Amino acid sequence: MNTILEELERRRAGARAGGGEKRIAAQHAKGKLTARERLSLLLDEDSFEEFDMFVEHRSHDFGMQANRVPGDGVVTGQGAINGRLVYVFSKDFTVFGGSLSKAHAEKIVKVQEMAMRNGAPVIGLFDAGGARIQEGVDSLAGYADIFLQNVLASGVVPQISVIMGPCAGGDVYSPAITDFIFMVKDTSYMYVTGPDVVKTVINEDVSHEELGGYRVHALKSGVADGAFENDLEALTQVRRLVDFLPLSSREKPPLRDSFDDPERQEASLDTLVPLNPNKPYDMKELILKVVDEADFFEISPDYAKNIIIGLARLDGATVGVVANQPQVLAGVLDIDASRKAARFVRFCDAFNIPLVTFVDVPGFMPGTRQEQGALIKHGAKLLFAYAEATVPKVTVITRKAYGGAFDVMSSKNIRGDLNYAWPTAEIAVMGPKQAVEIIFRADIGDAERIAAREAEYKAHFANPFVAASRGYIDDVIMPHGTRRRLVRALASLRNKSVQNPYKKHDNIPL
Amino acid sequence: MFSKILIANRGEIAVRIIRTCRRLGVATVVVYSEADADSLAVAMADESVFIGPSPASQSYLVAEKIIAAAKETGAQAIHPGFGFLSEKAEFARACAAAGLVFIGPNPDAIDAMGDKIQSKAFAAKAGVSVVPGHVGEIDDTAHAVRIAEEIGYPVMIKASAGGGGKGIRVAWTRQDVEEGFPAVRAEAKGAFGDDRIFIEKFIENPRHVEIQVLGDKHGKVIHLFERECSIQRRNQKVIEEAPSPLLDEATRAAMGAQAVALAQAVNYDSAGTVEFVAGQDRSFYFLEMNTRLQVEHPVTEMITGVDLVEQMLRVAAGEPLALTQENLSINGWAIEGRLYAEDPYRKFLPSIGRLVRYAPPSEGERDGVIVRNETGVREGDEISTFYDPMIAKLCVWGPDRTSAAEGMARALEDLHVEGLSHNAAFLAAVMDQPRFLSGQLSTNYIPTEFPDGFHGLSPQPWQADAMLAAALAAHDRLNRRARSVPGAFSGKAVRADWVVVAGGAKRAARLMSRPDGLDIVLPDEGRTLRLDAMDWRPGAALFRGVLDGRAFSAELSPAPEGFDIRLRAARQRVLVLTPASAELHDKLPPKTPPDTSRLVISPMPGLVVSVEAVPGEEVKTGQVLCVIEAMKMQNIIRAERDGVIKAINAKAGDSVAADDVLAEFA
Repeated sequence: MNTILEELERRRAGARAGGGEKRIAAQHAKGKLTARERLSLLLDEDSFEEFDMFVEHRSHDFGMQANRVPGDGVVTGQGAINGRLVYVFSKDFTVFGGSLSKAHAEKIVKVQEMAMRNGAPVIGLFDAGGARIQEGVDSLAGYADIFLQNVLASGVVPQISVIMGPCAGGDVYSPAITDFIFMVKDTSYMYVTGPDVVKTVINEDVSHEELGGYRVHALKSGVADGAFENDLEALTQVRRLVDFLPLSSREKPPLRDSFDDPERQEASLDTLVPLNPNKPYDMKELILKVVDEADFFEISPDYAKNIIIGLARLDGATVGVVANQPQVLAGVLDIDASRKAARFVRFCDAFNIPLVTFVDVPGFMPGTRQEQGALIKHGAKLLFAYAEATVPKVTVITRKAYGGAFDVMSSKNIRGDLNYAWPTAEIAVMGPKQAVEIIFRADIGDAERIAAREAEYKAHFANPFVAASRGYIDDVIMPHGTRRRLVRALASLRNKSVQNPYKKHDNIPL
Repeated sequence: MFSKILIANRGEIAVRIIRTCRRLGVATVVVYSEADADSLAVAMADESVFIGPSPASQSYLVAEKIIAAAKETGAQAIHPGFGFLSEKAEFARACAAAGLVFIGPNPDAIDAMGDKIQSKAFAAKAGVSVVPGHVGEIDDTAHAVRIAEEIGYPVMIKASAGGGGKGIRVAWTRQDVEEGFPAVRAEAKGAFGDDRIFIEKFIENPRHVEIQVLGDKHGKVIHLFERECSIQRRNQKVIEEAPSPLLDEATRAAMGAQAVALAQAVNYDSAGTVEFVAGQDRSFYFLEMNTRLQVEHPVTEMITGVDLVEQMLRVAAGEPLALTQENLSINGWAIEGRLYAEDPYRKFLPSIGRLVRYAPPSEGERDGVIVRNETGVREGDEISTFYDPMIAKLCVWGPDRTSAAEGMARALEDLHVEGLSHNAAFLAAVMDQPRFLSGQLSTNYIPTEFPDGFHGLSPQPWQADAMLAAALAAHDRLNRRARSVPGAFSGKAVRADWVVVAGGAKRAARLMSRPDGLDIVLPDEGRTLRLDAMDWRPGAALFRGVLDGRAFSAELSPAPEGFDIRLRAARQRVLVLTPASAELHDKLPPKTPPDTSRLVISPMPGLVVSVEAVPGEEVKTGQVLCVIEAMKMQNIIRAERDGVIKAINAKAGDSVAADDVLAEFA
């Protein structure tokens, strides 16, 4: 009997050895941990249960039958993050470079299906060389199987991808469909076609880093939602993110004990908005002073910085925060900012996370580049996302809310539940100067009259009271009491119930 | 006594004067510029009058506006504070002409002391010791040698028009003079077009000691002992104390008597300060007299119990001084640290902006020391470019110097500021330095002790323990809370054994909860730390506790992994890891910092005024690449190497942050 039991241990040890000591040392030398080491940091101690440890590929081409490693380049299973169930897969670069075979794909599909059935997030750790070329079309079919599950799981369970090494070709589309992509600085890159192909096709010399490093995706393309210094920080932060999220769309976001007084007042917020309307201020200060314990998980902090998105808590309950950032491009809505925020709003709505919106927006970005880039459609995404969202929506206008951007930013008329404004709010079709130049075009030559008209317009519209008198604003609130009012608003909306009309699905302007 | 006065100043000194006025039942009026419209002083004063745009030249320095404000509000007298109009005799005269009392000395006394050369002559006549030297024409090198030998070596040979370290030589021997005199004369001629030279006694490792004097309109003058202000950076006082660790009773008496004699010689009738330069041998020489309240006056108040602002008001109102020299004595020790909005880790570059968080230590008595925080700002206020970038003056009194220094260090632990950089860690470093504690001060202290600039201090053993304890306790609390979220499917007992990594050191630690605190067993060190009275909640910026009987506070903020902790002058990233995770940390090679030699980085936040290079251009070391304006000053960014510019990432009009990449070399 003993020998039979020992056989299990022997086989397990074989699988755990992955690609062998030499390859593991090489992995470390590159500043990367191995697939199993990463899971040990991502998951609670001793919580990982591995599935399909003994799966091997079934290829007989190109001598592959002689080259089999149990696990076949990916480690899959279940585990816990602070006690809560998650499903994981972690590509093992030390085995066939993590390349994807049919068997490898089946392992991933299995955890994806389990996650959907059992209502728990899927976290994928990527560090792989792409398709198992020796398997040909089987490998491509495997990819497609994974993509399909990604799509089906979208909006059912949170899906998080962490790029911790190469991620190229077919491998990029699975992360692309998931809710969040994080990268590790300097050791990860992702692209559809690599530098060699780029050279062949368009004769451009480009490095891995220049083509698909974190600087490309976390700063310019917006493909990645954040980048971290190393594997250790990345995995620690993914744990932190999961703490904010419900395990599936079937449940509400988790509630945890808050050590922060829900009634806390912040006197300094009364001086946050400068007297000069053209002077910027840091919207992050407002977010950090209002949310629980100044704990804000910012998504895409380095991309389209004119809008801030992220997760926080108010009196222990998770909220999604969307805020214009007057410090960058005056907080204007452009293509990138609209796309960034729209996707986040839809994520929050899908997972029952209430939305808190802070508005200081001068409008949409003008110019040929924006128009040619389809600002109309991209801006409409944000409008669409806010309008269709049925989660509780609370809005605070701190300063400017001009023109169409006022409508878009979770306004009352697109089903904002509670819309507040600070006394410093200016709600109007446009800024005083532009407005006066249009209404009083005849007076343009007369600087004095224009100034007088501008002052008149300002007195009339550069405040929240016109909007409040029409009911477009539910109340004008003191900045220092913002936290208290938000906590109360969200408490009152806890049992909000709104149904959109039945449809197969909507048709968001993609 | 007056029933209403006007304060022609701003910031912490305006607040300081209002405090005394409130106690005396005197109504206050402050004037304010645009930048100060929402200031603490305006909020505290009974009345306030707007006097113009933010630049001082258009507001606080415009005498007519201030006098008009006083007339308009019915104030009887004007307190000028320090700086601005405080030492302008014309302003004192204009006040008198308008029927207002100037709360300061009579204009003749200001005039007499206002001119450096004249004041020295006055001082010499009054029997005050002045630096031996020769101010007349010097014919030639031989004459210079004769003068040097009369004064006695070492001597300083200095160009009259000199400044900024140029045209100055120290001569220790005759040969030095023979070589140095012609050299300085040539330098002076070349650099300043003026070859007049003077020679005076050179004081090695000089110290700055000053005497506080107080006179009334009835001819009485007393002194309130000395302050030492030797800890200076670029002639700006940073740390002051009273009394001076240098002086003995005899020197103190002699210095005090000279200061009083000088004040009497000019009919001084307010609070004033006679500044001396002192040698390590307690020799001292007159430097200048400041005819106003001094920034560092609180330390004198703390050791004498005298409210100097009150005394200024009383003597200005014509009351005779009630204080007598015999009844004054020194009680304990007081230290002042000036908290500036500057970044000590970046060559003390100014760092202005909004005080996003400003939590000064609480004032009053604690453990036998008294903390007083002189400030003119509140959380949410702006430290602007228009005025002195001082946030506060932190003053601490203790029964003796050691306890005052320790009290100051403790007070600095309790300080939390966000939004801009400040020098609290630097001030704390000085308090923790054995040399400071020994009292061996000199005006060269900062350049000698921090020759390569300030980089923080390594934590002392007790500080490393405290940082470990704070990180562990915080981690434990967060960890337990994270585990308490409902819906858990695997509930494992919370771990007790951890590995704490900080500053390259790995320490094993076992946590044992007590109802009233934590025991931290350090198995490898055979010790147990006892943490009591823990005062921290998630999100709080300060962690307070008592470790093995020693109270401490540390700034603690969550980092992407672990915590960033500052305790006094030490700051570290502290990781709390499971033993297995600690092993994995060891497996990753340390990340080599990116090669920035190819990058031109903005040293400070500011506005790009102009860009002087284009991509593809070949530039030489020292060539101007761009100009950034910060703090109203243009900073020229030059190429630090030869090379070809690959990219320019900034254009005129851009706002850049510190560390932004302005340009890249190919």
